[in-house]
Amino acid sequence: MVDAIPTPRASLPEKLLRSKAFVCTLIVLPGLWPAWPLFISRNPSVLADPLKYVLHHLGFLACVLLATVLSFTPLRVIFPQSKLALALNRHRRLVGVSAFTYAALHLATHLVYEGGFGVLASDVKKPFLVTGLIAFTILLTLAVTSLNRLVRALGAKHWKWLHRLAYVAAALAAYHQSAARKVFPMQVLWIFVPLALLEIIRIGIRWRHSGVHKIT
Amino acid sequence: MNIRTPKDWELPESAVTDEAIYRLRNRRDFLKTLGVGLTGAALGTRGLLAAAAGFPDKENPLYPAASLKPTAYNFITSYNNFYEFGTGKDDPVVYANKGWKPDPWTVEIAGLVRAPAKFAVNDLVAKLGGIEQRVYRHRCVEAWSMVVPWDGFPLAKLVALADPKPEAKFLKFTSFLDPKNAVGQQDSHFGWPYVEGLRLDEATNELAFIATGIYGKAIPNQNGAPLRLVTPWKYGFKGIKSIVKIEFTDRVPSNTWQRLAPDEYGFYANVNPQVDHPRWSQSSERVIGGGIFAGRQPTLMFNGYEKQVAALYKGLDLTRNF
Repeated sequence: MVDAIPTPRASLPEKLLRSKAFVCTLIVLPGLWPAWPLFISRNPSVLADPLKYVLHHLGFLACVLLATVLSFTPLRVIFPQSKLALALNRHRRLVGVSAFTYAALHLATHLVYEGGFGVLASDVKKPFLVTGLIAFTILLTLAVTSLNRLVRALGAKHWKWLHRLAYVAAALAAYHQSAARKVFPMQVLWIFVPLALLEIIRIGIRWRHSGVHKIT
Repeated sequence: MNIRTPKDWELPESAVTDEAIYRLRNRRDFLKTLGVGLTGAALGTRGLLAAAAGFPDKENPLYPAASLKPTAYNFITSYNNFYEFGTGKDDPVVYANKGWKPDPWTVEIAGLVRAPAKFAVNDLVAKLGGIEQRVYRHRCVEAWSMVVPWDGFPLAKLVALADPKPEAKFLKFTSFLDPKNAVGQQDSHFGWPYVEGLRLDEATNELAFIATGIYGKAIPNQNGAPLRLVTPWKYGFKGIKSIVKIEFTDRVPSNTWQRLAPDEYGFYANVNPQVDHPRWSQSSERVIGGGIFAGRQPTLMFNGYEKQVAALYKGLDLTRNF
């Protein structure tokens, strides 16, 4: 595990990234952002359909956090000396569970947006809804199994395999996000392409070092 | 006293009083002059002001659809799909008002007509007898809807002016091309300029309308100034904005959205709750301005204009011709 002993002269960014309070703030603040156009600037483009804005915003944050948490491991593999990458890896569970939390809020908003379960039930055959629901189910499973007791009960090996489903969730979320709109939203690329690049580099590194030392 | 029989498509005016202030201010001079000069003269003093703003004189208590109320002006004019100025709903209100000038504007009438011509917008409106106001439902293919009080003229009048030849069967509409001032047009993937089309009999249907205003004000840039097609029984993307050319032709014109995704958007694009978009349901819609807990309302066949347009599509398989 990642419990490195803090060096006496940790840089400020490292200190901040190690701090749970700081990372929590980074996670919660964007969730409060919709209050600005809804209540303070009263942006009519947002007020025209306020719930749609909230819905998209929460889904967007869930995607960002999912891509973020998945980038932690490759960052550590690619930059093994980096204290920042090490600091980030302390927060894998926090960021992962936050991604799930935003996804849950997103789904709850969707239910209000559709005025109940009716549309969800009739639309469930649509690929964009199915992918969203499967991705959510995966995140739910991973969030539940990140409780200490269940981690132990599962055993490290099974737990690791199960939690690789996060990659499936990311792929589904990317599709879900791009299919929900009339045209392909560029933000999907901004969120998921950097992650894909990190993964490719990480796989390359692992391939070159295969058999020498294994990192996950 | 101005007595008029309400048409079936007329929606009540009951809810627009709070926008009344808008109607009497800030109009483009040409519309004011035309409205007062051509329509107002026949209506007397009280009618004069209303007519200047393009509105019918008073509310119609007989019309049954009393639950429908026009969407607030600031929502109609700040929640727009006008990809020439960006793909966000909040983009057009900003980027269509940064240097792009729909005035002066010339529209060309061409193709299989006996009277091809180019008109300055003002001259065209004058030639067609001024403007009138119609409150129409507006249903976007993205499953949201508004109710819009449009000002403008029936498209049928323009068709009559053009005097189509017998072989003309379709109208092809073309919007402007100005990538320098329309930032969205710098993304060439859409194949600008935007094009749309109608069958001739659709274009001469009493509902087909060319808008020049909203709520009695000149139509804002982001809503498709200065001339914008309104076909309320079709999805909003048929309503091509900022028209520069109307060409009469004998073959089906292609339309931008069909070119982009032919499996999702067709030529007809009639509002139809029974035919879903491949990626989402069309059976219900969110009402813009309804607030957070508005939920959805059922979508109506032909957006509630079945009586006026259903005959146009008799015998047509609407599932295939979506």
